[in-house]
Amino acid sequence: MATHEPHRPSAGLAGLLAEFASAEAVRAAASSLRNAGWTHWDVHSPFPVHSIESAMGLRRTGLPWLVLAAGLAGVLLAAGMQPWTNGIDYPLIISGKPLLSLPTSVPIMFELAVLLAALAAFGGALVLGGLPRYGHPAFSSLHFRRATTDGFFVFLSAEDPRFDAAAGQALLQSAGAVAVEPLQLDASSGRAPSAVYWALATAAVLALLPPVLVTWYRARPKPNPRIHLIHDMDFQEKYLPQGSSPLFADGRAMRPPVPGTIARGTLEADEHLYAGKVAGQWAARFPVPPTAAMMERGKSRYAIFCATCHGLVGEGGVTGITSARAVKRREPNWVLPLSLHTPAVREQPVGQLFHTITHGARTMPAHGAQIPAEDRWAIVLYVRALQRSQNATLDDVPQAVRPQLRP
Amino acid sequence: MTDALNPEKTVIPSSKAGAAAAGLLLVGLAGLCCADVMQHHQDTSGVYSLHSYLVNFCFFTSVSLGALLFVTLQHIARAGWSVTVRRAAELLADNLAVMFPLLLPLAVTVLAGNFTLYPWTLPEWADADHALQQKQAYLNPVFFVARSVGYFAVWCLMARYFLRLSVRQDRTGDPTLTLSMERLSPPALILLVVTLTLASCDWLMSLWPHWWSTIFGVYFLAGAAVGALAQLILLVVLLERAGPLAGEVTIEHYHDLGKLLLASVAFWGYIAFSQYLLIWYANIPEETAWYHPRHSGPWGWVSVGLLVGHLVLPLFALLSRWPKRNRLSLAFWAVWLLVMHWIDIYWLVMPAYDPQRPPFGLGDVFCLLGMGAVYMAGLLWRCRNRSLVPLQDPRRHEALDFHND
Repeated sequence: MATHEPHRPSAGLAGLLAEFASAEAVRAAASSLRNAGWTHWDVHSPFPVHSIESAMGLRRTGLPWLVLAAGLAGVLLAAGMQPWTNGIDYPLIISGKPLLSLPTSVPIMFELAVLLAALAAFGGALVLGGLPRYGHPAFSSLHFRRATTDGFFVFLSAEDPRFDAAAGQALLQSAGAVAVEPLQLDASSGRAPSAVYWALATAAVLALLPPVLVTWYRARPKPNPRIHLIHDMDFQEKYLPQGSSPLFADGRAMRPPVPGTIARGTLEADEHLYAGKVAGQWAARFPVPPTAAMMERGKSRYAIFCATCHGLVGEGGVTGITSARAVKRREPNWVLPLSLHTPAVREQPVGQLFHTITHGARTMPAHGAQIPAEDRWAIVLYVRALQRSQNATLDDVPQAVRPQLRP
Repeated sequence: MTDALNPEKTVIPSSKAGAAAAGLLLVGLAGLCCADVMQHHQDTSGVYSLHSYLVNFCFFTSVSLGALLFVTLQHIARAGWSVTVRRAAELLADNLAVMFPLLLPLAVTVLAGNFTLYPWTLPEWADADHALQQKQAYLNPVFFVARSVGYFAVWCLMARYFLRLSVRQDRTGDPTLTLSMERLSPPALILLVVTLTLASCDWLMSLWPHWWSTIFGVYFLAGAAVGALAQLILLVVLLERAGPLAGEVTIEHYHDLGKLLLASVAFWGYIAFSQYLLIWYANIPEETAWYHPRHSGPWGWVSVGLLVGHLVLPLFALLSRWPKRNRLSLAFWAVWLLVMHWIDIYWLVMPAYDPQRPPFGLGDVFCLLGMGAVYMAGLLWRCRNRSLVPLQDPRRHEALDFHND
């Protein structure tokens, strides 16, 4: 059992490389080394040797926990991403399925779990194994090349606090080493040659080329029509809106809505509310019980829509600013807005007032499209209040306010 | 480690086994009769009895089929670790010969024209629509019974072949017997999977003649694998305690059986969910009709219970190393999964009888225990004069030496 080199001083020594004849031999040696208390050493074999971890006294790796955590993270990520993107942020109803649906999310939850777990296993194994690592003192040994075919090696590192070349050699030989070889520290063995970094840098630059080329190509105007790789997808056998079809008499592929079709929410079935009529007669009562809130609403709506012509008090004439301006500018076709306090208007039922607001009258334009029905009734309520205000008696004034009246 | 062979230790005394078997057979048959009486009390037409019988028949048959699957797979893979537990699986598989005569009540029902179990028994059932008429060539009483007999014939022949050669090797130690078993195992596996798929279609899927699921056979196979591995684990635990397998199995065997159990649970869950998701997503009434009674109400709770109890809990429980390397823990989950597998078969069959709620009663328990006793009787009968360990299998040393690292 001779060494390959004469004994050298420990300075500059990376460690000792011992070769063994078989997997069983290296496992036995590993047990001996563990029992002897060595800590900085490793076993190199062409295939995983059974029970080598327990022989070496290696701690159980935490990699499975990392993989489990990554897998669970994948499940949660998918479970959150799908309902959020398709159910909450931009809800898409897909063939009538519920927006937040667990069964549809399950396949991607499974896939992401597997993907992240696999990536964690691969990446974690590399990182926890200290890889990528370019150099190792063992590569300086020619015999070490057998480590990938039929050689079993133990490398005892000089970094071990108990390292002593002679003691180490003796221990390895007594453990059954066929040969023990001291390995020298190589100054450059820890770093990759600069060619590797140059190659990576070149590859990174070259990798930018395709996106640049693609962007440039897309930005250019082209004389030829685009190539349709999937013809059936680009020219689908379906009728587009405004397309023609020989199937129908009017030649249109689009079918007009059935006569009488109205948009959802526009069915104005309540004649009282929407037309101001009850059984064909003008409604005398409001369709909804008047409230103080409705009165306030009516006041604000009146000020917006009606006061410009009829004035804030409803006197018409030139009290409204639009009317005043038209008169000042001597508009030839301007008809003065009516006063709302004439007996004719005061006697009109509320339904008729509502109808006037909705459809207009004579030169007054229709406001039905601008003002929702409920607001129009609120305006009618306010107009009634205005009418009362201009035709009030002393009895209408509350007692508390009477002292403030001028005689 | 009994490298020094002590064959007597690995055999259950023949007289004991025979007596116990006879006793269990009587108890079992009595139990089945009691169950029938109790279930007739609940439903005098006897339809409930038929369905309950079918549930238990499929349960025990699936366990034996899963064992046969295990045996063929071990031979295909030339596995060494499983040698000392393989005899128990071979005996479980050979027990299909006991399930064969238990087919009789179902065969008689169908041949007698009793359509309360299988609607297609009545020739007029197909008049409803064209699709059913096409199926009639397959789903008719005579062909059904002939097929069922055929399945059992094939299974019994295969199981008996593997057991016979394995037992012969106990005496002769001839390694070419191992080669013969390995040579048969690939075609045996193919034949097993095909017949198992067709059997599940015949016995279980045809309860709803309108419905079909192309993954149903795989679903049944996955469930059978779970049941068989759970049963095998329990058998090994019991036999190790009782003596025949003491020293023949190590904690490594339990670890490996536990790993296979975990894998089959995950596989079952995957297949079960795949079947559900596709049908749910397509939302076609012809397909969803089968899931409809299982989707809500009391059956809905059973479905959720299966999801949680058959998949989620055992999966996470068996994921870690230590529960599998502990006999008590593994035995607990084996019992749990056998119960879950029974509930799975129950969930497959019973909504055909009562779509509103699971009609579980004492009769079901008696039917299960009765058929179980008959099954155990068959198993004990098989143990007579046979070692419970393949004594001279050429890979026996691998089984005794291997380590899970």
